[in-house]
Amino acid sequence: MKDKYRRFSTARIIEHLVQIATFSVLVATGLSQKFYSFDISVWFILKLGGIDTVRIIHRAAGLLFAFAAIVHISAGVVGIIIRKWQPSIIITKNDFTDAVHNIKYYLGIENFPAASGKYNYTQKFEYWGILTGGLLMMGTGAVLWQPVFFTRFMTGELVPLAKVLHSEEALVVLLIIAGWHIYNAIFSPEVFPLNVSIFTGYIPRERMVREHLLELARLEGRTPEELREQMQKDAIQEREAESEEVRRRD
Amino acid sequence: MRGMRANLFAPALFFVLILLPHAAGSEQFLSSGEIQRCLGCHAKPGLSITFQNNETQAASVDPGKFKGSVHGSLACSACHADFAEGKHPARTFKSKTQYRIKSALVCRRCHTDEQIKKSAVHAELLAEEQQGKALVCTNCHGSHAIARISGKGAPASEEQYCMRCHERRTTLRFKNGERRALKVDLLLLKTSVHGKLDCSDCHFGFSSDEHPQRNFRTARDFTLASSESCRRCHFDKYTKTLEGIHYALLSSGRMNAPVCIDCHGSHEIARAGRERTASAKRCQRCHSKEYDAYAKSVHGNALFNEHNQDVPVCADCHTAHTILDPFSMDYRERIPEMCSNCHAKKEIVGKYGLSTDVVKTYLSDFHGVTLGLYKKQRGENYKPGKPIAVCTDCHGRHNITSTVGPDATIVKKNLLKRCQTCHPDANEHFPDTWLSHYGPSLTRAPLVFIAGIIFKIFIPIMILGLVLQVLLHIWRYAINR
Repeated sequence: MKDKYRRFSTARIIEHLVQIATFSVLVATGLSQKFYSFDISVWFILKLGGIDTVRIIHRAAGLLFAFAAIVHISAGVVGIIIRKWQPSIIITKNDFTDAVHNIKYYLGIENFPAASGKYNYTQKFEYWGILTGGLLMMGTGAVLWQPVFFTRFMTGELVPLAKVLHSEEALVVLLIIAGWHIYNAIFSPEVFPLNVSIFTGYIPRERMVREHLLELARLEGRTPEELREQMQKDAIQEREAESEEVRRRD
Repeated sequence: MRGMRANLFAPALFFVLILLPHAAGSEQFLSSGEIQRCLGCHAKPGLSITFQNNETQAASVDPGKFKGSVHGSLACSACHADFAEGKHPARTFKSKTQYRIKSALVCRRCHTDEQIKKSAVHAELLAEEQQGKALVCTNCHGSHAIARISGKGAPASEEQYCMRCHERRTTLRFKNGERRALKVDLLLLKTSVHGKLDCSDCHFGFSSDEHPQRNFRTARDFTLASSESCRRCHFDKYTKTLEGIHYALLSSGRMNAPVCIDCHGSHEIARAGRERTASAKRCQRCHSKEYDAYAKSVHGNALFNEHNQDVPVCADCHTAHTILDPFSMDYRERIPEMCSNCHAKKEIVGKYGLSTDVVKTYLSDFHGVTLGLYKKQRGENYKPGKPIAVCTDCHGRHNITSTVGPDATIVKKNLLKRCQTCHPDANEHFPDTWLSHYGPSLTRAPLVFIAGIIFKIFIPIMILGLVLQVLLHIWRYAINR
């Protein structure tokens, strides 16, 4: 029985690092343009050397982001179709029932959280939120960058539309990342101070039991119920060992 | 001829200067009888002479005024040499003018050309006399009531003193042959903003004691020098002009660039901003092309045809003193601010049915935001590379047309051309990327409007969902422990 499992390949780790870099640059240079009247935005823009420079940086980061996204999608499509990867990130009916199940669990109606595969429903929704949002940002960003070119093929009104979508979707993506992803990866009590899987590529078995039960069962060829029983037994044993320790010390 | 006469009168001068103090007392004693006798008739008011052309001239003398005059101690015959005890020749003159010219020659017997030439005013008059224009002393100095030039008996005010010459047509001549009339219209002066000032408040160096003779090359040099007076009081305005384009032109040698006097006038200066039409017309003198375009524009039309005082005149946009080069980047970047002086104020444009959103919509769009940041960058010594479209780039400069009514189509039709000046490849769809100062609505840009609404609903719901999810998660975790 392994005590840790490989969760992310080197390619995914590099992808994530690129995302951190481009996303941070895009947020900093984009938000300062969206909220251009704020003192901090003006300060930031002037520090970078002016609005023209900020726009160049934003577009360069956008290009890199778009390139990484296209590589990621292509790799995913090729991997699933040709290399027969597990399509574990695809949203299924179970994800919706899991969501309902988890809310029941939080409210005390269910005893266990929903057992999930390699990715749980929050991770899947987050992934697709970022991916679709990212695609929308790429498209609308291109229109805003080259309005003269795009109005050759479409009506002028689509440019202000692109502006609204780009600007508002940016907020949505930022909220998903800042509000949910950062919480889940850093501040959630289960992983605090940092979920390092995406940097090391490995996840400890004990977290697999708690968070990705179905995936662990698949990897170890056991049923989820067996694993859960085992986990409870381990927990009881651990608690007894702890109290033994306390008695001995007294 | 004149030289000879001057020579002849030199002994007379000697006589007056040296012997008069002694002679005066005895002559007065001797002549009091003569004066009495002359005044016997000439003190009567209404006495007059009639000339051949039927003009008349009073021949009565006010004894009091004569006694108080600078010549009060002279006997009548000292000036009226042809007349004496029992000698009253009958003379005929063609006209009053001829009489006055003849009579005034008497003065020059004592007051020689050499003597009077010392004053600039007289020098000028003597020069004119040489060209054939008669010099009539009494025109300025009067006859029997001649006052002392300074001291006792001088005019009550400085103004009265100056006006004795300057209410007549006096002329200043320049080295290049140009002339400038120095006549002052007292009525205009009195009703001007400077009506309460003394002449020497502006014409420093001049007074009832001093009248320096100055030599100017050209009439323009005189105007430029005269304008220097203004800054003694209006120093703030003067320093403002130092930043302006007119001063820059002037210092680059363009002497016709306007100075204070060219716009404000000199003796007839009106209160600033009172007459807006006049203000616009002042600029017309040099900028007639711009003025004509303005006069036909929606602003100019309202000013000239409806006497509308809300519309801007030249100085409202270009300012009165710190007039910037209108082609400078600095000026361009101020244009939205200038327009918003009226177009962002409901109390001004509201009554014409104009929206005050025009400035806001511009400033929050791509061009406005970029411009706003460019302005701030400028403070950090960073020069933006390209000009950004401002109000005038679409609406025109002096020829601004109405955006409502039949003229609206002109604005719309020209829009693509205006876009193409910066975006040469733009096609007919391109102007629609700008929502024409209107916020999106269901009728105008419905897609933009709906997208905005969706996000306005979706984002709060999403925030709420995320917060709930996180809170529930923490809560359950705490219970499990």
